[in-house]
Amino acid sequence: MKKVAIGLYLLVTVALLIWAYRQAIYDAPNDAAQGEMFRIIYYHVPSFSVCFVFFALSFLGSIGFLAFRHHHPDRAQIADALALAGAEVGVVFCSVGLTTGPLWGRRAWGMWWTWDARLTTTLVLWLIYVSYLLLRRFAAGPQMQTLAAVLGIFGALDVPIVYMANRWWRTQHPAPVFGGGENSGMDPSMVGALLWNMLAWFLWGVLILLFRFRVERRQQKIAAAEAERALNA
Amino acid sequence: MKKLFAALVVAVPVALFVWACYLVFSAPPEPPFDWRLHMSDAQHAAAIAPINHLYTRAAYTVTWAIQLGYAAWLCLRWQSQKQEIAK
Repeated sequence: MKKVAIGLYLLVTVALLIWAYRQAIYDAPNDAAQGEMFRIIYYHVPSFSVCFVFFALSFLGSIGFLAFRHHHPDRAQIADALALAGAEVGVVFCSVGLTTGPLWGRRAWGMWWTWDARLTTTLVLWLIYVSYLLLRRFAAGPQMQTLAAVLGIFGALDVPIVYMANRWWRTQHPAPVFGGGENSGMDPSMVGALLWNMLAWFLWGVLILLFRFRVERRQQKIAAAEAERALNA
Repeated sequence: MKKLFAALVVAVPVALFVWACYLVFSAPPEPPFDWRLHMSDAQHAAAIAPINHLYTRAAYTVTWAIQLGYAAWLCLRWQSQKQEIAK
């Protein structure tokens, strides 16, 4: 039953990804100013939206770990696995955004990168979470998870700064398309493609997040079994 | 069979990434910055359209390369855990 549900979910996600791709490439019109280049928005914006959601999840997992670590070790391990999965999948989506962005910037602005407020804060966010993953990978000892949780909470504080960066500081990056005031917004013929892509990538993200979560839970069980075996030896 | 699957799972994202790089680096040269002296707006639009097309395709391809690459890494990790448990 579980396998059927997973298979069905995978099928729906892949179908949605194909549908969203069709919407982005064939159905949405070209932008009047940027032409075909504007279509990068259909992968660029959803990647960052999903990335922010998963970093928020990592934030909640980190808080959960710190809250449960003394009295509910099992729950703490679940929260820690969730924090790690959220951070890792968030980094993947953030990497997509940070790769598609320069490709767009090269054509729209004539440069790959600029130290604009939105770009710089996003790069800092990516670096914080990469350092989180490196800490998880290379640090050892009982304090590793606690340190990682603290870093996870610290990293999530950058998310609202990234989101507000092009509202607070008007530099190179365009003003927000949604929620950016009177002159913001998108042509209705393009909104559908963006929303379909957001939904499709979100479902894909949840799928790989759950997979990563399972892998981490399994790893925790292997580590616990090894520790027990070592104690009994 | 398993090794073939693993090789395929790794090869696809790598190939996509290489393809995305190829798309960017094979783009024709851009019109000069003073293009208004040499060509009309329509000619300029026609000159940059193929470059924009290649960059857009590269952005989509690199997205899939990263996503499938990560999914492939997870699959391999899952397999190695299975072997570890079997041991």
